[in-house]
Amino acid sequence: MPKEAYMAGCAATANGAKLARVEVITSYPIRPYTGIMMELSRMVAAGELDAEFVHGEGEHGQVSVTQGASAAGARAYTGSSGVGVAYGMEVYSPISGGRYPCQMAIADRAYDPPGDFGSEHTDVMSVNNQGWILGWAETPEESMDNCIIYYKIGEDPKVMLPQWQVQDGYFVSHIPNKVSIPDQAQVDEYLPPYNCPHALNPQNPTNHGPQIFPDQGPAIDLQRAQAFLNTPKVVEQAIADYNKAIGRNYSAWLEEYKTDGAEFVFFLMGAHCRTARFAVDHLRKKGAKVGMVKLRFVRPWPTAQVCEVLSKFKAVGVIESQTCYGGAMKGGELQHEVRASLYDSPKQPAVCSFMAGLGGEVISLEEFYNMAKILEKNAKQGKVDQYVYWVGFDNGI
Amino acid sequence: MAQVPTQELELLKNLRGVDQKEYYVPGHRTCAGCGPALCYKLVSKAAGADSIFLGPTGCMYVANCSYMCTPFSYAWTHCQITNGGGVASGVESAYNVLIRKGKYKGKLPNIVVMAGDGGAIDIGLQAASAMMYRGHDVLFVMYDNESYANTGIQTSPMTPYGGKTTFTPPGKMVPEGKKLFPKDAPQLFIGGHPALHYVATASIGYPVDLINKCRKGLNYKGPAFVHIHCPCPKGWLYDCKDTIRVAKMAVETGFWTNYEWENGEYTYQHIPKTYKPVKEYMKGQERFNHLNEEHIAKMQAFITAKVKAPGKPIEVPVLGPREA
Repeated sequence: MPKEAYMAGCAATANGAKLARVEVITSYPIRPYTGIMMELSRMVAAGELDAEFVHGEGEHGQVSVTQGASAAGARAYTGSSGVGVAYGMEVYSPISGGRYPCQMAIADRAYDPPGDFGSEHTDVMSVNNQGWILGWAETPEESMDNCIIYYKIGEDPKVMLPQWQVQDGYFVSHIPNKVSIPDQAQVDEYLPPYNCPHALNPQNPTNHGPQIFPDQGPAIDLQRAQAFLNTPKVVEQAIADYNKAIGRNYSAWLEEYKTDGAEFVFFLMGAHCRTARFAVDHLRKKGAKVGMVKLRFVRPWPTAQVCEVLSKFKAVGVIESQTCYGGAMKGGELQHEVRASLYDSPKQPAVCSFMAGLGGEVISLEEFYNMAKILEKNAKQGKVDQYVYWVGFDNGI
Repeated sequence: MAQVPTQELELLKNLRGVDQKEYYVPGHRTCAGCGPALCYKLVSKAAGADSIFLGPTGCMYVANCSYMCTPFSYAWTHCQITNGGGVASGVESAYNVLIRKGKYKGKLPNIVVMAGDGGAIDIGLQAASAMMYRGHDVLFVMYDNESYANTGIQTSPMTPYGGKTTFTPPGKMVPEGKKLFPKDAPQLFIGGHPALHYVATASIGYPVDLINKCRKGLNYKGPAFVHIHCPCPKGWLYDCKDTIRVAKMAVETGFWTNYEWENGEYTYQHIPKTYKPVKEYMKGQERFNHLNEEHIAKMQAFITAKVKAPGKPIEVPVLGPREA
């Protein structure tokens, strides 16, 4: 029977990994994701989970061990945060190129300098083009569920890709919430044991990752790109199946919150969606035509869905917790993706970015109300006054 | 947790006992007279088919693996030059859990990392050390050709004093080329890894000894490190027909010492009856041609001090190709 509990994102995510019956776990401490590994090491020590628990010598080592374990045919699991995500960088492409469907839990965190423990999307968004499936959770329960769902997607023979399963540091990882933990039997039925078709196996020897000549490169890159083209259907099926098996109500790509009759929306992902919901509720009571659109996957990016949904509105405020210094819009990366998605749309909303929550700062309700004022003006005038607003600074917000 | 069953490989008495079957098969692009390629062939014969080899980037990756044309008849994977120890740890951990859960029927495969000197004790040191600290049942072989040869012979921490490389060219301000003395790789691992029980040095000039040391390392439960001297005609600039001669001369002059360390004790050290002067070894290699007498004396002093390393000396030469 499913079990109700109060847990923070780290513990909930560890429960997700346990339910997924991960087989090789590799740890290295860095705040705020560490709690996932603390909980998993306890489970292994207590005999609640039959897995090898390897202490990595750093994130580069962690990701390397995970590559080897996945290549040998085990369901492999690791995780990190912030600069740790950057330190593992070298090994991300060999893993996705080797088509090893392991999983890395990330509780996101700011980069240095200066040393900052706070949640930011900077870490993952700076490595997001390495061929991994990538998405954010809003709550501890969603993070637990995503852990299971992502293995289902990644291990599908049409996909065979690794996954970054991200939750916001502290806002999700450290704040206890009600979590409904599914029954192991339900999860076992949904997620069968991993059966690697090309494992490193002396009884069926294969060679992985030999060197190639330049003219052989494009064909191999195309295969990895093709896997991402295959992924959306698998994502939709995996989420529909999970909703049915476990009794959840996840939308595959975008969740629309109170968008009926909305003229402008907040567009964001992760923990700040929760504040946005409160802000929308409050503003709706006051008559503002506001809604929220929550993004569940960044890779693969749901281009058609973003285009279809956002084209319905007159103004969109992209809330960004990372920056692209010197980028096309001088703000965050999400606006680039949103604008690219909308490029072919006959109906163009006015799109601007709000740089908010950087360094792990809370985005307050007051700040959401102020952002809404700007969006309301943009909706009315049908254009933006500026592409980027740094929330909390002297630029009109 | 309970140890999964591992393999017991037989030790050889002489060259006739060497497996006739090739596991490292033709079809690669290594140089004529390549020491590391011969090393790969011998280590492959030591481990056999029930093995998983891991090849961090280096000569033995790039020259061996044209796409769909690898010379490895066993399960093999590339890993980064940085992470041979890490990927091997993952493979071993996976097999432990898969065997425990009954998902793999068989004994723990021989897991062998074939790292060059850079991939072992320079950029790959962190991963190698972590693997040995954690006690994974992996044989870590360092095929030592004393340079980053794949990228065009740049200095590594194993390049000897006075060695000319493309990053240590001799010149007016730096007459000896390379000014530093090399790392002592086996001591680096012996010195601080309580889970490590077997360390040996070997040379491609003594194939039976090399195979037996790899087998002993594989038979030990837990990590093992075998450091193998692999002369490189392209990097050391000698005639490619002389690879074995150079390998043997290294041992005869004390430039290279074959020894074993088991469970905290030195159990064997090959010491020739008389050491030839190290100059004899150096004169055949163009990489040392620029050195003057003062430099050679400095090298001789280094070698003389080094061969006094602890051990149980034996005075009979180990079996070589012509001695079986």
